Amino acid sequence: MRQFADDEAVDALIVGCGAGGGVLAQRLARRGWKVVVLEAGPFWDPDEDWVSDEAASHHLYWTDPRVIGGTDPVPLGSNNSGRGVGGSTVHYAGYAPRFHPSDFHTYELDGVGADWPIGYEELLPYYEQIEEELPVAGQPWPWGHPHRYPHGPHPVSGSGDLFLRGCSRLGIKALVGPVAITNGVMGNRPHCIYRGFCLQGCKVNAKASTLITHVPDALKHGVEIRDRSMVTRVELDARGRASGVAYIRDGAERRQKASLVVLACYSIETPRLLLNSASRRFPQGLCNDHDLVGRYLMVQGAAQTAGRFEEEVRMYKAPPPEVSSEAFYETDPSKDYKRGFSIQTVSPLPITWSEHIVAQGHWGEPLREYMRDYVHWASLGALCEFLPQPNNRVSLADEKDGNGLPVAHFSYSQCDNDQRLMKQATSVMVDILDAAGAQETVTINRYAHLMGGARMADDETRGVVDRNLRTFAVPNLFICDGSVTPTQGSANPALTIMALASRLADHLVAA
Amino acid sequence: MGDPKSGERFPGFDVLAQSDHWDATTRRVVTARLDTGGGRNFFTADEEPVCRALCATLLALDGSPGEPPVFEMIDGRLAEGITDGWHYDDMPADAEAWRRSLAELERRGFRDADDGERRSLIEAVRADRERLAGMPGKRLFDLWMRYACTAYYAHPTAWNEIGFGGPAYPRGYKNLGLDRREPWEVEEAGARDPIPVVERAERPVDPERQRRRAG
Repeated sequence: MRQFADDEAVDALIVGCGAGGGVLAQRLARRGWKVVVLEAGPFWDPDEDWVSDEAASHHLYWTDPRVIGGTDPVPLGSNNSGRGVGGSTVHYAGYAPRFHPSDFHTYELDGVGADWPIGYEELLPYYEQIEEELPVAGQPWPWGHPHRYPHGPHPVSGSGDLFLRGCSRLGIKALVGPVAITNGVMGNRPHCIYRGFCLQGCKVNAKASTLITHVPDALKHGVEIRDRSMVTRVELDARGRASGVAYIRDGAERRQKASLVVLACYSIETPRLLLNSASRRFPQGLCNDHDLVGRYLMVQGAAQTAGRFEEEVRMYKAPPPEVSSEAFYETDPSKDYKRGFSIQTVSPLPITWSEHIVAQGHWGEPLREYMRDYVHWASLGALCEFLPQPNNRVSLADEKDGNGLPVAHFSYSQCDNDQRLMKQATSVMVDILDAAGAQETVTINRYAHLMGGARMADDETRGVVDRNLRTFAVPNLFICDGSVTPTQGSANPALTIMALASRLADHLVAA
Repeated sequence: MGDPKSGERFPGFDVLAQSDHWDATTRRVVTARLDTGGGRNFFTADEEPVCRALCATLLALDGSPGEPPVFEMIDGRLAEGITDGWHYDDMPADAEAWRRSLAELERRGFRDADDGERRSLIEAVRADRERLAGMPGKRLFDLWMRYACTAYYAHPTAWNEIGFGGPAYPRGYKNLGLDRREPWEVEEAGARDPIPVVERAERPVDPERQRRRAG
């Protein structure tokens, strides 16, 4: 791997090597840019560092201290934030749906949420590129903007069969995919072995993560990825331009110079880094003159409903991401809520499955008895488009981390629309499982994904970055992660984050 | 290992018999859990008995041979600081929540209470009718259960109990689909509807949950 000196002002310094940072680094390096990526976590070796085991995969997640609150606090850690090269793409399920064209205009169409300063058509070529590069496997997709996938659908397991069976009996369209798992051998990536540990890091290298899809090419084109480097502040020069960052590696504070800085630390750490980069010019936090940094942070309502079947399902076999439906994605005028939800197979492993049982109020012997019944259950998950709200936000807590920096406080409260939407999604999942022949259903209310927190907008009174992801306040500071999206749809966000990164690369090179 | 109370569900299933087919890193991590000789590194000698009593109640442990060493596994995790990182703003960090709740349970005589008394206190905490040492009951209960279940269901003995195939790399699975097993997986003996078992131990299950009774 190429190395750069701390005092060499590289063309681009990217903070965070996940879905956004990994793709952007690769793109810029291919255009001849000198790029350094600082990543807080390690550079993974899947053979040595990952296991085919639930409990021992804890190190894949961001587990530094964080404080949560609000009326509906969102637990973090294992579910929604990654650490290390590849970021959350290491432990995401691998679902890779596009956003729908309607997601970019929810205020105009439905009077809720916000309109993006860009439309679907501006992301379309990048969606197509990334789908080829991962690649994505699935049936031809009829929802949103209809499209096809480069790889055909994977075979489905008992869980997927039951989902398809229930939907077919109810006349609900459900399809196999779209998942970022190669269907067949591809280069040095073998065929999926259907072992079910997608969320624990794919040792097989069949599931796409930027660690294996974009980082190797980035390195080949001269990017330096400096791992175990925790960035503590963005530094400005006398003219108010970003001059580089301060970071801690091996216990020592260092500074990396750069002509351009890009934050790609996702919806909690990007706002936290901006707030921790307060200065005389930006006393309330960098880019926070209008009190927008950290606000409009969204999570998708991700209730999961499981059904008990007479047959053995053994849902631990096959990847959790198999079948999904976007039939309820857009606003249905006959309902008492705006926007919608998607439904997907989820297939929790035993420790996660125990959370579903505990959520029913069971413990002791009843918990053990339900757990002994594990092989009979199939589980579906909803992704509900919860709306962006200004008070759902990251701010700085009094508590400090190991480096003495204030940790993030994440406050979250649902609005009425969110609650009605999640109730309806749950009811549809119960109906599907019922139609498939379930003997009992149980539901756990939970959340998935993070979006927003430094959103893009037409002007600085409504957002932190412009349509090209440049911060309004600092001309050579950009944000390239899920925090820039004004709405979140009910699609898993990874593909959209990668598409935004790819688009940003084109913009930077052209500028 | 069978459960003496309800009979073995997957007779003779031994997930460790497959360990030759696991990758070396996973085998090392999983077999390390079989060693219960880790000692006590986080909890104090005063905290240990009440913590063991709490774990036994939360998970219906009976000390049978081969039972997962839940106390030792939680102790090891807290000693090494392997937490999920986050905590509620009305709760202390995990380690502190454990210490404070155990001290309160000890003060309330949990260790010497009989099974029924222990269970009724835990149920009151779960149902948020009780706060312990100033902490909201439900959040504390959820924290205990996250640690207890993460320990118990990480153990091969528990995988045998529930018929879970365990680690599956590099071998993977070949027989996907309903009522299909790998050659090394064991057919279930005496599958039964969990609802009646639960209703005997707890309370009636919400009729909305029951679609149709298992045969």
